[in-house]
This record gives sequence, C-alpha cells and structure tokens, in this order.
Amino acid sequence: MSDAAAVEVKNLVKDFKGAFNGGKVHAVKDVSLRIAPGEVYGLIGPNGSGKSTTMKAVLGLVAPTSGSCAIFGRNSLKVDSRMEVGFLPENPYFYKHLTAAETVRFYGKLCGMRGRKLKERIEELLELVGLQDARNRRLKGFSKGMLQRIGLAQAMVQDPRLLVLDEPTAGVDPTGSREIRDLILELKNRGVTVFLCSHLLEQVQQICDRVGIIHQGILVNEGRLDDLISLENRTELILENASADLLEQIQSLVDVTHESKVVSSGNARTTLEDLFLRETKSKPARDRKERKPVSK
Amino acid sequence: MSRPASTSFFSPRRVLIIAQSTVTQLVRMKVFYFLAPIALLFLGMQHFDMPWYNGPEALQPEQELRMHKNICLGAMMVFSSMFAIVSTALLIPGDIEDRTLYTILCKPVPRLDYLVGKLLGVMAVIFIAMLVMDVLMVVTLHYRMEAKLVDAMEYMKNIGYPEREIEAGRADITSHGPTLILQYGVMSHFLKASVLAAVALLISTFSTSTLFTIATSGMIWVIGEFQSIARDGLFQDPVLGDTPGLAERIVGTLISLIFPDFQLFSSISDAAARAENILPADMAQLGWLAALYIGIYVVLSWFVFSDKEF
Repeated sequence: MSDAAAVEVKNLVKDFKGAFNGGKVHAVKDVSLRIAPGEVYGLIGPNGSGKSTTMKAVLGLVAPTSGSCAIFGRNSLKVDSRMEVGFLPENPYFYKHLTAAETVRFYGKLCGMRGRKLKERIEELLELVGLQDARNRRLKGFSKGMLQRIGLAQAMVQDPRLLVLDEPTAGVDPTGSREIRDLILELKNRGVTVFLCSHLLEQVQQICDRVGIIHQGILVNEGRLDDLISLENRTELILENASADLLEQIQSLVDVTHESKVVSSGNARTTLEDLFLRETKSKPARDRKERKPVSK
Repeated sequence: MSRPASTSFFSPRRVLIIAQSTVTQLVRMKVFYFLAPIALLFLGMQHFDMPWYNGPEALQPEQELRMHKNICLGAMMVFSSMFAIVSTALLIPGDIEDRTLYTILCKPVPRLDYLVGKLLGVMAVIFIAMLVMDVLMVVTLHYRMEAKLVDAMEYMKNIGYPEREIEAGRADITSHGPTLILQYGVMSHFLKASVLAAVALLISTFSTSTLFTIATSGMIWVIGEFQSIARDGLFQDPVLGDTPGLAERIVGTLISLIFPDFQLFSSISDAAARAENILPADMAQLGWLAALYIGIYVVLSWFVFSDKEF
C-alpha cells in the first residue's frame, strides 16, 4: 500500500440533524479530494463552509453520512489509522493541570511510546517548538500562542506521516506564526504530509502545494496553487538597482509592441509581516528611531 | 516507512495511562481537601459522649462504639457517593467542552479504553480517599474502644464480676472495635461508590451538561437506595402475601435491571456497624454484583459513546 494517498476523501457527504422539524443541515456535499504523500494541502473557505467537518471526517471524529475517508489507505473510522496522524485542533485546550513536558509525555504514551525513546522525543519536540524554558510550567498559565506550540508538539509526538492542522497560527503573534510556517515547511522537506485549513490566505499561499476552496459544503475549486493563482496574460519582472534610464528603455521597448503594455511600475514592496519581523528582531526597542520603510 | 502495527481492541496499558492521568487531574484539582472536614469530624467524635451517658453501667459501651462506627461509615458513604457522581460528571463533559477529547481520540485510543480509563481513575481516587478515612476511623475507634474497655473492666472488677464474665465483656467490647467485619462495611461503600461512578459515566456519555449528569445520577442513587422497599410495598401485600401479576413482575424486574439496588450494599455496612457476622462469601457475592453492575453500565456507555460525534 506504499502508493496509497496520504488522505483520500471520496464523495464525502455529511448531514446533521436540524434544530426544527427533523430537517437536515447539509454540512458537506459530495466532497472528493486526494492528498499525495509529502504534499502540503490547504483547505480554505469561509466560516461554516464545511472545512472543520471535512477534517473531522478525515480524523474519524464524525462518521460520513455517505462516502468515505482514508488515511494512507486505512479507513479513518478505524483506530489503526490514527497511528499515522497528528492533529492540532483550532484553539486547542489540553489538561491544564499538566506541565508542557507532562502533556507531551501523556500523548506519547497514548501512542505506545515509552522509556528513553519517549524522553528524548519530549526534549526534541519542546526544543523544536521553543518551549524548553516552559517545560515544567503548568498549561493553565500558557498564552494562546504557547498552547498552539504545545499542540503542535503533541501532534508530532509519534512522528506521524500526516499532520492535520486546523488554523495552526490562530492567536499566534507574527513571529510565532512565521516560526510555525517555517516548521511546516521543514516537516514538508522531511516528507511529512500536511493537511491544513486557515483563514490566513497569505500563509496558505506561502506554504501549500495544492489548495481546495470549499464553499457551502461544496469543493468549488481545487488544484496546484501555482496553476490556480497565476494570471496567464501577465508577467512580473522585479529588478534590483535599476536606474531611471534602464526603466525608461524598458518602457519604450514595451511601447513599441502594440500587444503589450506596462500595467504598473514602482518600488517593489515588502510584506507587512516581513517588516514586522525585521523591526522586532533587529534591535532593542529603545535603540530604534522612526524610519522610513526601506525600498528595494 | 514501515506500516505501524494495528491497534489492539482493548489495551490495559492505555487504560492505565488514562487512569493515571485522571488521578493526577483529580489530585491537582485538590479534591482531597474534602477530607479535612471529615478528619475533623472523626477526631471530634472522640470527645463526644451521648448526653445520657453516665458511667459504664448506664449505657453499654458497645452502643457508644456503634454510634462512632455509624457516623464514620455514614460520612464515608456520603463522601464517596457524592464524589463518585460529581467527579465522573465533571470529567467527560469537561473533556468534550474544552476539546481535549479531540486530541485524545485522534491518537490510537479506542473509545472503550478512554471510558474504562476514566472510570478506573475515579475509582482509584475514591479508593485512596476511603483508605485515608478508613485509617482515621480505625485509629479513632481503637482509642475510643481502649478507653471504654479500661472503664468497663475497672467497673466490672470493682463490683466483683467473675473472671469469665469480665472476659465475655471484654470480647463483646473488642468486637465493636476495628475488626475485619468493619472493613467489609468500608468495602461495601467503596463498591457502591464505584457503581455510582459507572452510572454517572453512562449518563455523561449522552448528557449535554454536567448539571444534568449530576442531577440524574443523584436521582438514580436515591431510587437505588429505596427501590427494594418500594418494590416490596408496590408489588407485595405484606399482610396477605399476594403474589404480583405479570405486569407488576415485569415492571419490578425492569426497575431492578435499570436501577442498582443499593440497599444490598447498605445492609452489609449496617451489619458491619452492628458487628454482626458477615461471611467472606457474602462479600464475594456483593463484589460480583458490583462488578456486574459496573460491567453493564460500561458496556452501555461504550455503545452510546462509540457512535458519538464531536
């Protein structure tokens, strides 16, 4: 079964009982998707579009009304399939009475880990998510971002081949958000499959290989990110240290051809996230003076 | 990457991990603070004599000791039963509400393991709490019995009781001290609390709120305490000895099946307080009955919980 998809959702339909007259709420309508091993897949959609229900069906937390979900070829409803998967729910809560290390140990033990292997894994994960200093602090004193990090650590404890992340950067500051994004990319490089849903479309764009857009329970569009967002009739050219003369020459060359035109030109812009990270990481706040944004 | 081995249907090791975590959770919730007033009660009873008590001849010392045991066993029964209901009712709905359950069930944990682990965790905490209360009861009862024994022996010797009667009196007072039979009474309360925890476990699998679970489990506790009396009153005429009709028999059987008969547990405890002879076979039978009740409620909980969606 080595060629099995990491996640395979076939014609998934999920109905919930309505509040009145025994009616039904169609949460997911005939969704099919396939995530290849090693891929980072983003499921995006507005609130109530069926993202979380699809994820829960993949994890076996809800049973499909019809259709099926499988993880590496194993039916999601079977407990066996969960050995291969780590899950980070949106706004995760864990046992507040446990410390960070105890939390990871608890989930590791549930996965059958023990002894030195588990001990080493706990240290490795706490370092990976940047919580070594908080290893003996109880979770009740943790910030939202710290809870998100410990959530990631518990999701990865048994070294799963698939990570399912529901809003992995919700409530995390931009620095932590970037670290989580980098971590996902690192996991991808290690061959881990990631299935995530997020409202932060820019992040989805930065890390996902493929994206599915779900709306009112229907998968309305799906494909490789590059294919979905590229504008075929437009070309982007970014120059460094271009003189005014050079820009004028390019403009005149474009003007010669009647089919092409320059839509816009000007200084390339950094992202607000990059600016924030640069400003907060470089120097202590008291040393900094007001400065203009750096143009490239 | 090699394919992982399949997850067993039921794993005692995983159950133990969840039970350990439940014990840690309850201990860190400081539930044992409840033991402080009980300890004060037990210690305070040392200095409490019946108002009409006026020397060893006015009242049998056995009665004093029986009262001591009754109060101790009663306090243990109330504490353990309430604790069983409230703690079980808090744990599972709590895990669902704060979504801790998501992360647990997304690991290779069969739902039966989770339920049994939670129940065993609660039972372990009840056991520890009852052990502490039991030690307190035994120590306080021992000192009280020693004091009564000295008084009674001195009195009997002073008024010239024959040695044989003095020894009989000593044996009688000693039988009301901390004995194995008294431990049977404590054990019956532990078994009863365990059954109540299993009842609360079942209700919490389909209940939508902690309050509903506590109220319903409390109701079942009360019905369980009085169901044998109610059955006798409803379906049998004590004077005429009428045999009940088919419909009454069915209703009676259904009540017995749905609601555990806690009177059976209380009768052992009462006998222990009276220092009556309780055979180990009786205790074994009570143990089996408790195990049967717990087994039935766990299986029912599993049926409900296995199809539950989150």
